[in-house]
Amino acid sequence: MSLAEAESEIVLSEGSRARSGARITRQLRRVPLPALVAVGLFVVIGVVGPWLAPYDPNQVDLASVRQSFSGEHWLGTDSLGRDELSRLLTAARTSLVAIALVLGLSILIGAVIGVVAGATGGIVDEVLMRLTDVGLSVPSLVMALAVLGARGPGYYNMILALTLCWWPAYARLTRVAVVSLRQQPHIEATRLIGVPPLTVLVRHLLPPAVAPTLVFASGDAGFVALAVATFSFLGLGLQPPGAEWGQMLVDGLLTLEQYPMLVVLPGLALTLTIVGLNLLGEALALDSLPRNISRRTLRRRIAKLPPLGVGRRVDRVDELTDAYFGRTR
Amino acid sequence: MSANPVLDIRHLSVRLHTRNDSVQVVDDVSWHLAPGKTLALVGESGCGKTVSALSLTGLWPAGVVAECDGEAWLEGQNLMELNEVRHRRIRGTQIGMVFQDPLTAFNPARKVGPQVADAVRRTHPKMNKAEVRRRVQDFFVEVGISEAEHRYDLYPHELSGGMRQRALVAMAIANEPRVLIADEPTTALDVTMQAQVLDLLQRLQRRHGMSIVLITHDVGVVAGMADDVAVVYAGKVVEFGPVVDVLTNPRHPYTRGLLAAIPGADVEPGTRFVTLPGLPPDMADLPSGCAFAARCELAHDRCSAIPALVPFESPAAEHQVACWAEPPDISAPEKVSRR
Amino acid sequence: MSTLTVTDLVVEFGGARSRKTVRAVDHVSFSVRPGEVVGLVGESGCGKSSLARSIIGLERATSGSIVWGDTDVTNARGRTLRRYRREVQYVFQDPYASLSPRLTVGQTLEEALSVVGHPRRTRAARASELLHLVGLPKSALQRGPSALSGGQRQRVAIARALAVEPRFLICDEPVSALDVSVRAQVMNLLMDLQEELNLGYLFIAHDLGLVRRVAHRTMVMYLGRIVESGPSHEVYGQASHPYTECLLDAIPSVDPREQRSRGFTVLQGELPSPASPPPGCRFHTRCPHAQPQCSERVPEVLTGEPVHQSACYVR
Repeated sequence: MSLAEAESEIVLSEGSRARSGARITRQLRRVPLPALVAVGLFVVIGVVGPWLAPYDPNQVDLASVRQSFSGEHWLGTDSLGRDELSRLLTAARTSLVAIALVLGLSILIGAVIGVVAGATGGIVDEVLMRLTDVGLSVPSLVMALAVLGARGPGYYNMILALTLCWWPAYARLTRVAVVSLRQQPHIEATRLIGVPPLTVLVRHLLPPAVAPTLVFASGDAGFVALAVATFSFLGLGLQPPGAEWGQMLVDGLLTLEQYPMLVVLPGLALTLTIVGLNLLGEALALDSLPRNISRRTLRRRIAKLPPLGVGRRVDRVDELTDAYFGRTR
Repeated sequence: MSANPVLDIRHLSVRLHTRNDSVQVVDDVSWHLAPGKTLALVGESGCGKTVSALSLTGLWPAGVVAECDGEAWLEGQNLMELNEVRHRRIRGTQIGMVFQDPLTAFNPARKVGPQVADAVRRTHPKMNKAEVRRRVQDFFVEVGISEAEHRYDLYPHELSGGMRQRALVAMAIANEPRVLIADEPTTALDVTMQAQVLDLLQRLQRRHGMSIVLITHDVGVVAGMADDVAVVYAGKVVEFGPVVDVLTNPRHPYTRGLLAAIPGADVEPGTRFVTLPGLPPDMADLPSGCAFAARCELAHDRCSAIPALVPFESPAAEHQVACWAEPPDISAPEKVSRR
Repeated sequence: MSTLTVTDLVVEFGGARSRKTVRAVDHVSFSVRPGEVVGLVGESGCGKSSLARSIIGLERATSGSIVWGDTDVTNARGRTLRRYRREVQYVFQDPYASLSPRLTVGQTLEEALSVVGHPRRTRAARASELLHLVGLPKSALQRGPSALSGGQRQRVAIARALAVEPRFLICDEPVSALDVSVRAQVMNLLMDLQEELNLGYLFIAHDLGLVRRVAHRTMVMYLGRIVESGPSHEVYGQASHPYTECLLDAIPSVDPREQRSRGFTVLQGELPSPASPPPGCRFHTRCPHAQPQCSERVPEVLTGEPVHQSACYVR
């Protein structure tokens, strides 16, 4: 979902109960299975990948350059004879760490700024929000080029650059949440009782304000992954000999026609990960319209319940589902 | 009861299904509406009064599927047998609805006049634009919206609360429905506005011969407007009859409790309210037997079975009660309860 | 023992970026003595909530003064405000929104107790006592607000307000959002507490029947001004302001025969917008006794003395 959608969702849903873990679990079930599998795999491999790798991903072996699938190298080797499988597995971690760092830092910075702006109001709010607007309006590539130009290319410089691009969205989201929360009677009541402002902030405002950002972040993760790959593709991120999917793409492009696997494999890994993350994010996105019980579940439930009235039972279920499912979305 | 009620509900039961839960909210409810008269459905939140009316229109909120049983006869048609297409046809034309919150009943992105015009066009599809507009403005005048010409082109949020409620009434009567269902039409309004809206409904009723189902928790509203009243508790009708009988001579302990809880006139400041002990029931977790027994001072062994709604005093009487208590017990003085 | 004295209070909204200032409270004066219950009646939009909120410091008072005991607490901050809020507390209208959804009842109460420095060891016990005071069982401590009914939540809100041991409660439509049978229970509770703890109340409602039962004195508010005030039985029994009369007439009776013969007394028109109030006496646009001079001359502002006063010079 877009930032604007996420913002308006927060405002609309602040009236209802805070989101609970149970609801998130339920929404997780809505995620298409392939997406869950893809993301799950990505995370698992990202964590244990390097230990699973049969070879050192950076070990050069000029004797076995650009080999195709074999018993020794399951997925072949790249232009420098390095084991493709090992590189793919290690690259997963590179991406995972990058995503975690960028999002983690962005949420942190964004939450602090957003909460301070939302809770303080006035001039502080204005200044911080104008700053955020500037951050939002600068395209990420320009920002990154500026940072990397100043500090030179590199993995952590890239993470720095991306974080600088990403935090404004989270600042906006937390601020919106805080502002609408502040007006709620229970926050007013807490202040009235005399609870110190800092406690109100940390205990009552911060948790519900941060929760929506986590949901947004799950959708954002895909874009971060893409950005990381893009920068590495452009040579601005992780420098060789490090393993990174975007970089492996560049590597393989030179010999695309003769050895397509060198492009296809990292490309596939990237695509599956990004698509999986995006689907996850969309499924977790705040869904305000409750969905109807499914036809099948309804039939089963009615069969188990005592008869409603004196009505003709069996017919009733069919009529019911036909009559009412004609109009449901 | 005169020969032919315009609306006759027989043994209506409704169970609502959502993804997580299924709850029976209406249990074997029967009531009828005499032509040109007003029936009040009285009860507290969650008792099922709104649902029983919603089942007539088939307008369920998102995420809810309703399973209904029983019959609802409107002018020779059983509403429970209708499919969505036919239901839509009678909605707005034979049955009008006035909701509690006029702000959400209107589309905020469209002007008020055209929305009412849509309703008019359903029964007059051949009317041209100018005629429809004039007719809508006539309705506006009839419901007491001044400057009808000007107000036709306003958005819902540009109207005051009272005006919006009137516009909603105009939309509901635009097709001169036989039955008007007013669901808590005055709850969100102030005392003075309440009087205006009720007065309006009464005038419209006299003029168009409409029958009204008035859903409310406010007994005062019932006294002024209703001809008959059905008291609803835990999804069942526990008392039914002409309003004069039921309000001056309530038989069911719940009805008596409701009436006693109303702040009356001329009492000393500091006088405590007479209260019903306990809490309104949880529809998902009803006891077997009479649902009111837990709070009833007259409860005894027979109350472990659900009492049927039967005529009181004589078989022909229109005043009906669903209670096992014998007449002498019912006449016993009420105890004043403190919390 | 403290008296709450409000003098010439004005609360305005808007200005700066909005086009017009709205004067929600227009020169209101009154006082509430220790242990006294003063009722404030009016329809929505009349300014009673703004009045209540400015008294407790949730809104800014534009001018005028609010004095508690011998301390001026108008727009108070810091220590003055903290001390003030230990003695004057507030019960909100909406029980579904005034409790923190993330805390259990016990946590909410203990948080309030920690504010007043109640020793940690005995907080849980004191929380149980507070629940007992409002008629809830000890088991409620572990439950979250979503597991409670409206009436139960309101009781918890009252318990929370009492946790800081105030001398005065501002009750802002405390039962309007509750069912009829529950309303009676919570009203009885409020009356019991008031007597047992000798609390002062400012009791705000739009239901005159309720206010009549609980308040010693009553004030009637219309478009930011108090139009009538005095001992309750006088205000209800011998109302002299036309608006009060209309309000009393509009209360439906539960006797159908009586109600039918009365008919609905219809007060014409609507509450004018507070942004552009009518000139002169604000009620003249709807007043059945209006005279030409009513649109020119503003009636005297009520001084807030305990006697029966009415801001109408025609009657």
